[in-house]
Amino acid sequence: MSLGLEPPLDHAPSTPPRTAGEGRVAVPLLAAENLHVSFPASHGQRVTAVEEVSLSVSEGETLGIVGESGCGKSTVARCLVGLLQPGSGTVSLRGERLRPRRTREQRRAVQLVFQDPYSSLNPRLSVRSVLEELLMFHGLARGDALAPRCSELMALVGLPEDALDGYPSSFSGGQRQRIAIARALAVEPQVVVADEPISSLDVSVQAAILSLFADLRDRLGIAMVLISHNLAVVRHICDRAAVMYLGRVVEIGDREQIFADPRHPYTRALLAAAPRLRPGPDSVAARLRGEPPSMTARPSGCAFHPRCPRAEPICAAQLPELLPAPAGSSRLAACHFRDEQG
Amino acid sequence: MSTAVLQVRDLTVSVGRGERRLVAVRDVSLEVAAGGSLGVVGESGSGKSLTLRALMGLLPPGVRVDRGTVELAGEQLPFAGAAARRSRRGRLAMVFQDPLSGLDPVYTVGAQVAEVPRRVLGASASASRLRAVELLRMVGMPDPEQRAHAYPHQLSGGMRQRVLIAMALASEPKVLLCDEPTTALDVTVQAQVLELLGDLRQRLGVAVVFVSHDLAVVRQVADELAVMYTGRVIETGPTKEVLERPAHPYTLGLLEAVVDLDDMGQPPRTIPGALPDLAHVPGGCPFHPRCRFASEDCALFDPGFRYLSDGDAERGTACKYPERVMAG
Repeated sequence: MSLGLEPPLDHAPSTPPRTAGEGRVAVPLLAAENLHVSFPASHGQRVTAVEEVSLSVSEGETLGIVGESGCGKSTVARCLVGLLQPGSGTVSLRGERLRPRRTREQRRAVQLVFQDPYSSLNPRLSVRSVLEELLMFHGLARGDALAPRCSELMALVGLPEDALDGYPSSFSGGQRQRIAIARALAVEPQVVVADEPISSLDVSVQAAILSLFADLRDRLGIAMVLISHNLAVVRHICDRAAVMYLGRVVEIGDREQIFADPRHPYTRALLAAAPRLRPGPDSVAARLRGEPPSMTARPSGCAFHPRCPRAEPICAAQLPELLPAPAGSSRLAACHFRDEQG
Repeated sequence: MSTAVLQVRDLTVSVGRGERRLVAVRDVSLEVAAGGSLGVVGESGSGKSLTLRALMGLLPPGVRVDRGTVELAGEQLPFAGAAARRSRRGRLAMVFQDPLSGLDPVYTVGAQVAEVPRRVLGASASASRLRAVELLRMVGMPDPEQRAHAYPHQLSGGMRQRVLIAMALASEPKVLLCDEPTTALDVTVQAQVLELLGDLRQRLGVAVVFVSHDLAVVRQVADELAVMYTGRVIETGPTKEVLERPAHPYTLGLLEAVVDLDDMGQPPRTIPGALPDLAHVPGGCPFHPRCRFASEDCALFDPGFRYLSDGDAERGTACKYPERVMAG
């Protein structure tokens, strides 16, 4: 694939590099710092959807964000791509803070793939016209260069070349999602944010789209933020994972740390509740009581404490900070008992 | 078999009119033992939901049963009209995927549950109200006396689904039909609802037919499994045996395609090709163009459904080469 019809976006970092775990000094490719988002509710009140969320993704890395509905994961995704302005907090690209109105280059660098390929594609535009418009708008190709570039994109996402002249209605769900991915890739992004990209697809198609994502990451080195409620999906293709509950990140770290040795009781509960084809001996683990509370009635202290099997009085009184677990680790957990192993 | 409470034979359902009529469910035969549980698995367009709706006598306009029979406790059920409703009332009940559309927003959930014993069983108004609270308690609704006065919008998705299950059970049915009842729910809540269904089956002896696209979910609720593809049942058998050693290449393909939390060794494997649409179902075995075990015969002859003996388990498959598939 001909990456770089234009020089890569190389901006001098405007903030000093942060120190990442293990002493590496690195500026993350895309970083969210202390995001807060609230929405207006009835009676002049506001509902907090996202609180103190900080996460980042480095070059070529895949970050998964998991959580149940209403945990704020999609809101974070919308902040990352600039569809939504956080109430406070910043999103930065290569250390450069992104202003509410992003430049064309900045918009190009971060692309979004939506969950539902039936509503995210314009039914009146052929695949070719969607791609050509993007390529011309961003000045990536014009005239005779358009057609070969479109064909290249089709090959990249595993569609036949004649798909270019089709309209969304003539494609299946999996094919539409491939088109949506081609649309995101057309502008040669540095980060692709995918919000539940396979959950509206049939089982036999999910695997194909997932391996397409893995393949694109390996071949093009694109960084990805993958939002999913499905732990298995995150485990299969992400390098790092963040678990969200009621607007906050409750645990974040390397994939195997999270899955093999979860330190937040909610992560453990999610793993125990996931339906499995081959149940292990621990699969009859205690079911979580209750349901996710609503944002309007956020429990005091740790928001998870009313459902938590490990809760003690301190949990209702004091909000646990997101701290290394165990001490010195790059994995963070927001639990008063983060040093205990499940 | 005499123990079957629900028996479906050669059910064929078609959609559309005239020349463009398409067969959406073809020669489906299923059977559910009294107090048993049957999982029906398939992807979109496999005919699993239409089969369930035909069982319930709730086919949408333009969809019709061409042939086949449904017997409930030995009695044949009509498919349409007032007779269809009357014959199922108090014996068959259904729980749908979307819990909000099954509830009336302007009545309290207690009133909606109470309506069933009053109308179907002829109970008095006060007895029905008490029964509604009792049913809500049975489905695990916390604080049922208070919650009976709540309106649907005041309840969470999981609680609404519990209300619908309570309504379905209110008529004391012999069989509970479930159409993807947990798909709209979060995983932690899904686990609770699946547990509830298993619990109710044990306590009340109600048989459950559970339709889903998710093999891992079905494994938790169903003792017996039927896998559907292009409107046909292509494999049946005890859930555990079918999932451990599938006898149809489509079942095997589905299992390999599942993104499994535990199986990190190999990436999920894709079934080649795409689901055929109903107007273009391939001749011969409908799965042959996507099958790695297919021979030339598979393109020419429909292998038909046959039973295999696999140890003690009674299994069936619509594949010509089940031995090859079972060997991997």
